Amino acid sequence: MRLLLTLSLALMLTGLTWALALAPTEAIQGPPQRIMYLHVPAVITAYAALAVVCVASLLFLWRRDPRWDRLALAAAELAVLFITMTLVTGALWGRPVWGTWWTWDARLTTTLILWFIYVGYLVVRAWAPGERGARAAAVIGVIGILDVPLIHWSVILLRTLHPQPTVFRPEGPALPVSMLIPLAINAAAFLTLFLTLLTLRVRQERTLARLVEILEGGA
Amino acid sequence: MAFVISAYLIAIVLFGGYALTLAARRRLIAELSDAARPSPDP
Repeated sequence: MRLLLTLSLALMLTGLTWALALAPTEAIQGPPQRIMYLHVPAVITAYAALAVVCVASLLFLWRRDPRWDRLALAAAELAVLFITMTLVTGALWGRPVWGTWWTWDARLTTTLILWFIYVGYLVVRAWAPGERGARAAAVIGVIGILDVPLIHWSVILLRTLHPQPTVFRPEGPALPVSMLIPLAINAAAFLTLFLTLLTLRVRQERTLARLVEILEGGA
Repeated sequence: MAFVISAYLIAIVLFGGYALTLAARRRLIAELSDAARPSPDP
Protein backbone atom coordinates (compact mmCIF):
# COMPACT_ATOMS: atom_id res chain seq x y z
CA MET A 1 0.00 0.00 0.00
CA ARG A 2 2.73 2.44 1.07
CA LEU A 3 4.86 1.19 -1.83
CA LEU A 4 2.02 1.89 -4.28
CA LEU A 5 1.56 5.41 -2.90
CA THR A 6 5.30 6.14 -3.04
CA LEU A 7 5.49 4.81 -6.60
CA SER A 8 2.51 6.91 -7.61
CA LEU A 9 3.93 10.11 -6.07
CA ALA A 10 7.36 9.48 -7.64
CA LEU A 11 5.76 8.94 -11.07
CA MET A 12 3.58 12.02 -10.57
CA LEU A 13 6.59 14.22 -9.74
CA THR A 14 8.59 12.85 -12.70
CA GLY A 15 5.65 13.19 -15.07
CA LEU A 16 4.85 16.72 -13.90
CA THR A 17 8.46 17.92 -14.28
CA TRP A 18 8.77 16.27 -17.70
CA ALA A 19 5.45 17.67 -18.92
CA LEU A 20 6.05 21.23 -17.75
CA ALA A 21 9.80 21.66 -18.24
CA LEU A 22 11.26 19.02 -20.56
CA ALA A 23 8.59 18.15 -23.15
CA PRO A 24 8.75 20.24 -26.34
CA THR A 25 6.27 23.07 -26.85
CA GLU A 26 3.78 22.18 -29.59
CA ALA A 27 4.28 24.42 -32.65
CA ILE A 28 0.65 25.42 -33.33
CA GLN A 29 -1.07 25.37 -29.92
CA GLY A 30 1.88 26.55 -27.83
CA PRO A 31 1.99 26.07 -24.01
CA PRO A 32 -1.74 25.19 -23.56
CA GLN A 33 -1.03 21.85 -25.27
CA ARG A 34 0.80 20.85 -22.05
CA ILE A 35 -2.66 20.38 -20.51
CA MET A 36 -2.73 17.16 -22.57
CA TYR A 37 -0.41 15.57 -19.96
CA LEU A 38 -3.26 15.90 -17.43
CA HIS A 39 -6.29 15.59 -19.70
CA VAL A 40 -5.41 12.31 -21.46
CA PRO A 41 -4.17 10.44 -18.32
CA ALA A 42 -7.34 11.60 -16.50
CA VAL A 43 -9.58 10.12 -19.20
CA ILE A 44 -7.56 6.87 -19.37
CA THR A 45 -7.88 6.49 -15.58
CA ALA A 46 -11.59 7.36 -15.70
CA TYR A 47 -12.13 4.56 -18.25
CA ALA A 48 -10.15 2.12 -16.05
CA ALA A 49 -12.35 3.11 -13.08
CA LEU A 50 -15.49 2.62 -15.18
CA ALA A 51 -14.32 -0.85 -16.22
CA VAL A 52 -13.87 -1.74 -12.52
CA VAL A 53 -17.38 -0.36 -11.74
CA CYS A 54 -18.88 -2.42 -14.57
CA VAL A 55 -17.17 -5.72 -13.72
CA ALA A 56 -17.73 -5.33 -9.95
CA SER A 57 -21.40 -4.38 -10.52
CA LEU A 58 -21.95 -7.42 -12.76
CA LEU A 59 -20.35 -9.69 -10.16
CA PHE A 60 -22.47 -8.10 -7.42
CA LEU A 61 -25.68 -8.61 -9.41
CA TRP A 62 -24.69 -12.22 -10.06
CA ARG A 63 -23.26 -13.25 -6.66
CA ARG A 64 -24.93 -10.68 -4.31
CA ASP A 65 -21.63 -10.48 -2.45
CA PRO A 66 -21.29 -7.06 -0.73
CA ARG A 67 -17.52 -7.08 -1.37
CA TRP A 68 -18.18 -6.49 -5.09
CA ASP A 69 -20.60 -3.71 -4.23
CA ARG A 70 -18.00 -1.97 -2.07
CA LEU A 71 -15.45 -2.21 -4.89
CA ALA A 72 -17.97 -0.80 -7.41
CA LEU A 73 -18.85 2.11 -5.11
CA ALA A 74 -15.21 3.00 -4.46
CA ALA A 75 -14.41 2.86 -8.19
CA ALA A 76 -17.50 4.94 -9.08
CA GLU A 77 -16.41 7.75 -6.76
CA LEU A 78 -12.99 7.78 -8.37
CA ALA A 79 -14.52 7.60 -11.86
CA VAL A 80 -16.49 10.79 -11.09
CA LEU A 81 -13.29 12.43 -9.80
CA PHE A 82 -11.36 11.60 -12.98
CA ILE A 83 -14.23 12.46 -15.37
CA THR A 84 -14.54 15.83 -13.59
CA MET A 85 -10.82 16.36 -14.09
CA THR A 86 -11.19 15.44 -17.78
CA LEU A 87 -14.03 17.95 -18.28
CA VAL A 88 -12.32 20.78 -16.37
CA THR A 89 -8.91 20.35 -18.00
CA GLY A 90 -10.65 20.03 -21.38
CA ALA A 91 -12.40 23.38 -20.84
CA LEU A 92 -9.10 24.99 -19.80
CA TRP A 93 -7.45 23.60 -22.94
CA GLY A 94 -10.38 24.55 -25.17
CA ARG A 95 -10.49 28.22 -24.15
CA PRO A 96 -7.06 29.24 -25.56
CA VAL A 97 -7.12 26.80 -28.51
CA TRP A 98 -10.78 26.82 -29.69
CA GLY A 99 -11.72 30.21 -28.22
CA THR A 100 -14.46 28.71 -26.03
CA TRP A 101 -14.69 26.96 -22.65
CA TRP A 102 -17.50 24.71 -23.83
CA THR A 103 -19.34 23.74 -26.97
CA TRP A 104 -22.15 21.21 -27.47
CA ASP A 105 -19.86 19.09 -29.58
CA ALA A 106 -20.55 15.30 -29.71
CA ARG A 107 -17.39 14.33 -27.77
CA LEU A 108 -17.92 16.91 -25.02
CA THR A 109 -21.65 16.24 -24.72
CA THR A 110 -21.27 12.45 -24.47
CA THR A 111 -18.56 12.94 -21.83
CA LEU A 112 -20.84 15.25 -19.85
CA ILE A 113 -23.58 12.58 -20.09
CA LEU A 114 -21.07 10.05 -18.71
CA TRP A 115 -20.40 12.39 -15.75
CA PHE A 116 -24.15 12.69 -15.07
CA ILE A 117 -24.61 8.90 -15.24
CA TYR A 118 -21.98 8.24 -12.56
CA VAL A 119 -23.03 11.21 -10.41
CA GLY A 120 -26.49 9.58 -10.66
CA TYR A 121 -24.91 6.32 -9.46
CA LEU A 122 -23.60 8.12 -6.34
CA VAL A 123 -26.93 9.91 -5.78
CA VAL A 124 -28.76 6.56 -5.86
CA ARG A 125 -26.28 5.17 -3.31
CA ALA A 126 -26.75 8.19 -1.05
CA TRP A 127 -30.57 8.24 -1.25
CA ALA A 128 -31.22 4.51 -1.14
CA PRO A 129 -28.73 2.86 1.20
CA GLY A 130 -28.78 -0.90 1.62
CA GLU A 131 -29.35 -3.80 -0.74
CA ARG A 132 -32.02 -2.09 -2.89
CA GLY A 133 -29.88 0.99 -3.59
CA ALA A 134 -26.85 -1.20 -4.24
CA ARG A 135 -28.78 -3.23 -6.85
CA ALA A 136 -30.16 -0.12 -8.58
CA ALA A 137 -26.69 1.45 -8.63
CA ALA A 138 -25.17 -1.76 -9.99
CA VAL A 139 -27.58 -1.62 -12.96
CA ILE A 140 -26.49 2.00 -13.62
CA GLY A 141 -22.85 0.92 -13.27
CA VAL A 142 -23.28 -1.73 -15.96
CA ILE A 143 -25.39 0.31 -18.40
CA GLY A 144 -23.36 3.51 -17.93
CA ILE A 145 -20.26 2.08 -19.57
CA LEU A 146 -22.17 1.86 -22.88
CA ASP A 147 -21.53 5.61 -23.19
CA VAL A 148 -17.75 5.00 -23.49
CA PRO A 149 -17.81 3.58 -27.07
CA LEU A 150 -20.14 6.47 -28.00
CA ILE A 151 -17.54 8.93 -26.67
CA HIS A 152 -14.75 7.16 -28.56
CA TRP A 153 -16.63 6.94 -31.88
CA SER A 154 -18.17 10.43 -31.61
CA VAL A 155 -15.06 12.08 -33.06
CA ILE A 156 -14.66 9.45 -35.76
CA LEU A 157 -18.25 9.25 -37.01
CA LEU A 158 -19.35 12.86 -36.49
CA ARG A 159 -17.87 16.22 -37.40
CA THR A 160 -16.61 17.64 -34.10
CA LEU A 161 -14.41 20.43 -32.80
CA HIS A 162 -12.59 17.90 -30.62
CA PRO A 163 -9.65 16.30 -32.47
CA GLN A 164 -9.64 12.63 -33.48
CA PRO A 165 -7.70 10.15 -31.28
CA THR A 166 -3.95 10.79 -31.38
CA VAL A 167 -2.82 8.01 -29.02
CA PHE A 168 -5.25 5.07 -29.28
CA ARG A 169 -5.65 4.58 -33.01
CA PRO A 170 -5.17 1.48 -35.20
CA GLU A 171 -2.14 2.91 -37.03
CA GLY A 172 -0.34 3.77 -33.77
CA PRO A 173 0.10 7.02 -31.84
CA ALA A 174 0.42 10.23 -33.85
CA LEU A 175 2.52 11.90 -31.16
CA PRO A 176 6.33 12.15 -31.25
CA VAL A 177 8.26 10.05 -28.71
CA SER A 178 9.29 13.23 -26.86
CA MET A 179 5.61 13.78 -26.01
CA LEU A 180 4.60 10.12 -25.69
CA ILE A 181 7.10 9.37 -22.89
CA PRO A 182 5.86 12.08 -20.45
CA LEU A 183 2.28 11.20 -21.39
CA ALA A 184 2.92 7.51 -20.55
CA ILE A 185 4.60 8.46 -17.24
CA ASN A 186 1.64 10.64 -16.26
CA ALA A 187 -0.82 7.91 -17.27
CA ALA A 188 1.12 5.40 -15.12
CA ALA A 189 1.12 7.93 -12.24
CA PHE A 190 -2.64 8.44 -12.46
CA LEU A 191 -3.33 4.70 -12.72
CA THR A 192 -1.17 3.87 -9.68
CA LEU A 193 -2.81 6.73 -7.74
CA PHE A 194 -6.20 5.31 -8.73
CA LEU A 195 -5.18 1.86 -7.43
CA THR A 196 -3.90 3.40 -4.17
CA LEU A 197 -7.07 5.42 -3.55
CA LEU A 198 -9.27 2.48 -4.59
CA THR A 199 -7.53 0.16 -2.08
CA LEU A 200 -7.84 2.78 0.68
CA ARG A 201 -11.51 3.44 -0.04
CA VAL A 202 -12.45 -0.25 -0.23
CA ARG A 203 -10.72 -0.87 3.12
CA GLN A 204 -12.66 2.03 4.66
CA GLU A 205 -15.99 0.68 3.35
CA ARG A 206 -15.15 -2.81 4.69
CA THR A 207 -14.32 -1.41 8.16
CA LEU A 208 -17.45 0.76 8.15
CA ALA A 209 -19.63 -2.22 7.20
CA ARG A 210 -18.12 -4.31 10.05
CA LEU A 211 -18.63 -1.48 12.56
CA VAL A 212 -22.24 -0.93 11.51
CA GLU A 213 -22.81 -4.70 11.83
CA ILE A 214 -21.35 -4.72 15.38
CA LEU A 215 -23.33 -1.62 16.43
CA GLU A 216 -26.61 -2.89 14.96
CA GLY A 217 -26.03 -6.32 16.50
CA GLY A 218 -25.44 -4.77 19.91
CA ALA A 219 -28.45 -2.44 19.73
CA MET B 1 0.86 29.41 -19.46
CA ALA B 2 -1.89 30.64 -17.08
CA PHE B 3 -4.26 27.99 -18.45
CA VAL B 4 -1.69 25.24 -17.88
CA ILE B 5 -1.03 26.34 -14.28
CA SER B 6 -4.80 26.62 -13.64
CA ALA B 7 -5.31 23.07 -14.96
CA TYR B 8 -2.61 21.68 -12.64
CA LEU B 9 -3.96 23.68 -9.67
CA ILE B 10 -7.49 22.38 -10.30
CA ALA B 11 -6.13 18.82 -10.43
CA ILE B 12 -4.46 19.40 -7.04
CA VAL B 13 -7.72 20.83 -5.62
CA LEU B 14 -9.71 17.80 -6.89
CA PHE B 15 -7.24 15.29 -5.44
CA GLY B 16 -7.08 17.34 -2.23
CA GLY B 17 -10.87 17.36 -1.97
CA TYR B 18 -10.99 13.61 -2.37
CA ALA B 19 -8.25 13.21 0.26
CA LEU B 20 -10.40 15.32 2.64
CA THR B 21 -13.38 12.98 2.16
CA LEU B 22 -11.08 10.03 2.96
CA ALA B 23 -9.89 11.82 6.10
CA ALA B 24 -13.50 12.57 7.15
CA ARG B 25 -14.43 8.90 6.75
CA ARG B 26 -11.37 7.94 8.77
CA ARG B 27 -12.60 10.16 11.61
CA LEU B 28 -16.06 8.58 11.35
CA ILE B 29 -14.50 5.11 11.55
CA ALA B 30 -12.55 6.17 14.67
CA GLU B 31 -15.75 7.47 16.32
CA LEU B 32 -17.71 4.34 15.42
CA SER B 33 -14.85 2.15 16.72
CA ASP B 34 -15.05 3.96 20.07
CA ALA B 35 -18.82 3.46 20.15
CA ALA B 36 -18.49 -0.23 19.24
CA ARG B 37 -15.88 -0.92 21.94
CA PRO B 38 -17.52 -2.72 24.92
CA SER B 39 -17.74 -0.54 28.02
CA PRO B 40 -15.55 -1.66 30.94
CA ASP B 41 -17.21 -3.58 33.76
CA PRO B 42 -18.32 -1.36 36.66
